[in-house]
Amino acid sequence: MVSRTDAPSRVRVADAPGLELVSRRRLLLSPIDAFFRLHPGDRSLVKEGEAVGRGQPILEHYREPRTVVVPGQNGEGNQPAPGDRWTAPGGRAAREAHGATDGELLFRSGGRWRVASGERAEPLESPVAGVVHEVRAGAGVTIRSTANAIVGRSALAGPSWGKLQVATGPDGELRAQHVDVGMAGSIIVAGARMDAEALTRARAVGIRGIVVAALGIKEQRDFLASERRGRAAVHGLPPFGILVLDGASRRPIASPLMTLFEAVEGGVVAIVGDPPALVIDDPSVLLPSPAGDLVRVRSGPLAGAEGTWAGLAGPRRFPAGVTLEAAFVRFGGRPPVAIPIGDLERFA
Amino acid sequence: MNERAEAATHAWRRRMADGRAGSIGPVTTVPRALLAIDAGSATTSVALLGKPWKRWRLLGSLAAPAGAPVDALAATLAARLLSTDPRMAVELSVAAESVADLPRLETISGPAPTLAVLGASRRAVGLLESVAARTPWRIRTASPESHDPREMTELALRPEVSAILVGAGDPPGPDERGWLDDLAGLVGAATRRRPELRVVLAGPVAARAAWAEGAGRPFDGSQERIVEGPPLGMRSGPDEPLREILEGLLPNARGTRHTAVRALLSLADALDRTVELIDIGLDGGLRAVASPGVADQGPAAVAVRTAQAALVPGDVDDAGVDSVLAWTTGSLDRHRMGDRLMDLRLQPWADVSGEGARLRLAATRAALARLAAQTPDIGAMPSPDVTIVAGGAFAVAPARAVALALADTIRRPGVTQLATDHARLLGPIGTIDDPDERRDLVADLADDLLAPIGSLVVVANVPSGRRTATRVGRLTLDGDRNGRHDLVAGEVAFVDLPPGDRAFATLEFRDTVQVGHRARRVAVPVSGGVAGLTVDLRDVPLRLPERRDRRRAALAAWGELAWPGDER
Repeated sequence: MVSRTDAPSRVRVADAPGLELVSRRRLLLSPIDAFFRLHPGDRSLVKEGEAVGRGQPILEHYREPRTVVVPGQNGEGNQPAPGDRWTAPGGRAAREAHGATDGELLFRSGGRWRVASGERAEPLESPVAGVVHEVRAGAGVTIRSTANAIVGRSALAGPSWGKLQVATGPDGELRAQHVDVGMAGSIIVAGARMDAEALTRARAVGIRGIVVAALGIKEQRDFLASERRGRAAVHGLPPFGILVLDGASRRPIASPLMTLFEAVEGGVVAIVGDPPALVIDDPSVLLPSPAGDLVRVRSGPLAGAEGTWAGLAGPRRFPAGVTLEAAFVRFGGRPPVAIPIGDLERFA
Repeated sequence: MNERAEAATHAWRRRMADGRAGSIGPVTTVPRALLAIDAGSATTSVALLGKPWKRWRLLGSLAAPAGAPVDALAATLAARLLSTDPRMAVELSVAAESVADLPRLETISGPAPTLAVLGASRRAVGLLESVAARTPWRIRTASPESHDPREMTELALRPEVSAILVGAGDPPGPDERGWLDDLAGLVGAATRRRPELRVVLAGPVAARAAWAEGAGRPFDGSQERIVEGPPLGMRSGPDEPLREILEGLLPNARGTRHTAVRALLSLADALDRTVELIDIGLDGGLRAVASPGVADQGPAAVAVRTAQAALVPGDVDDAGVDSVLAWTTGSLDRHRMGDRLMDLRLQPWADVSGEGARLRLAATRAALARLAAQTPDIGAMPSPDVTIVAGGAFAVAPARAVALALADTIRRPGVTQLATDHARLLGPIGTIDDPDERRDLVADLADDLLAPIGSLVVVANVPSGRRTATRVGRLTLDGDRNGRHDLVAGEVAFVDLPPGDRAFATLEFRDTVQVGHRARRVAVPVSGGVAGLTVDLRDVPLRLPERRDRRRAALAAWGELAWPGDER
């Protein structure tokens, strides 16, 4: 599929000598191979080459997995192999003896099979439409989608999908008191950072996902612990995903990303974990592309600032007595400033 | 590499080989310049080498974040050469447009692959882990005592797991017997489900009947991907056989840390010195010692490559955060330090100046401490003549801070000259297979390859005074206009000694100390560098105060000597 993008870059890399040395950040990915993990015992509900729609169950996993031991067959004939499905022989008494009704054969030892089984099977629905590219028992299901995807750094929980809603500006921070039930069912762009309390509240009011520039290690751990508790509860949890765009330390969302979110706002998007990305299902959305000479300061005293490329500056001495390759960047109408090349990023 | 560069590389290597064989080949125009490329996980470095007269020289080097096109880096270097010495550029046929066609020596390093280490008991897994930790593999461990069969199967089937190391004693220990059949069946089944999986069998695992049940066929040694190794020993012994097998399974056997050891051998041979290389990178570290050959013997090296010495471990956990916090003087709490380390892992080339430089060197110290812990055999050797530091962790730090970081963590009494592989040439030079050819190039480049940091003298068994700042001895440098320097127990002294200068340092103490050997008066040759001469009179091993504030105060006091001025 040819992605629709708007406004070709004003300046090509070839027209800006030295710009190639700046780390290039890819904004969009298409097609995308979304990978969904299958743990031993989980069952794939789709086959390779099968078309799947958004919301269609693609796999089933046990919320309370365990290993059971069952006697193996002896003699000649079609012997089962590791990875095959196992179903308990008929009869209630026999099933109760095994303590499970079905599962996945793990391995045979001493004439007995170890089987990955469990209780309370739960389906996982595909967050994107696509074609099943690969199914590997015990490993995962890969769905290939021709949609565009905005690439992030990491994703937690998920997958999930919903309408995209921009809740704050790029430098904003969504607090718990600003998370209301009106956002239920949406995936929220939450600005520079979000704390654990706001994340918990977001999940509680029915928000389907969060897109945020940075999420600290503490918030990640708190959220994942809460996720585990929720998953272990009787009723489980509705789908919820977090897409982290940059890293752990607070910084604003880059303007090219923010422009993309604003262009997609109101449309249905999905968060997938592997690769961490926000999938835009609607092919009719016109996606703006950034100017070719736009550079962003990723770290250091000017972190988050964006400017235009003004050429290589050569080796320069910076605080702490380190000498680094630098480049000139023009911020607004002010004279160019020398910034270490490693602290810059450009977009493509 | 483009086709013209590839052809030029072959032609250059053929020419080098022919030249040494004494053959007179057809007279052709052979490039007198080449590119040395070290494409690492964090940064890509390109160096431009040229032979303007009779020797190869380093003409320039440049590094940029990983992914930066090599041709663009080479073109920038060529443009700089043209602007500074156009005559030499013309003589060497170096131009920005054609520099990408030059012959190349290239190494590529990737992320550490994952090895699942499985054993029938915790003890067995611990023994295997201690060996696997001294390889570039990233390790995940499991045993039936800690994981159930479903979890162990899940580990074996994870897409990121490239190989399994499974081991048992021969005969199996009492703690292994109950679970060994299950383990054999489990690993056998994993080989059946993942035909690409490599397996190392350290011990009689495949001899169990359950192996055939799991794998679907008995083990007959016909499958190349399944390798047999030595069984677990009851006591710790040499681990080289198993380490060699594990390193042989690595997908990239010509990574920088492999080839650099070959270049180190050539360097030790060319300099006729014992040389140690310490490399800390994003995905692992290397510690190697090479000694020149004696009589008919060639040079020899001992090397340990380990993923444990990565600048930032793949999973930033509490232990990793605490190990870095232990070397910091700032006020970051554990969570914020975790955030900084996660960002450092994600963007290792960024935030290199100011506070970022200090954080990076604190992480480097933690990595060096892990490297030292994994290499007690090398640590027990005498102090080498030259210690070379390499890798992104040291690439941009001030020289004195690098010297102090080494002194903090590699606590070996003796004298060594410190230098840095500033242009990252050792890895690319190590790609030359012919040892004579490699030695010739190293001998030509030795002066340019190593940037002198200075000399480090670590003195052990210094008697501590009852009061602070007790003078325990004095240092005299030949020809030093500043005269004598007082030496104080528990402190680090930096003495200016410019690059290129050599001197005899005489250390005189009131009591017997240890500098390689035990004596009161020691005279050692030292050479200068950007950091000068560093004399370390602290405890060996280093003992830092338990209380956090006192520990930070001690680190800050030493750090003030190493970091320039108030620039933070």
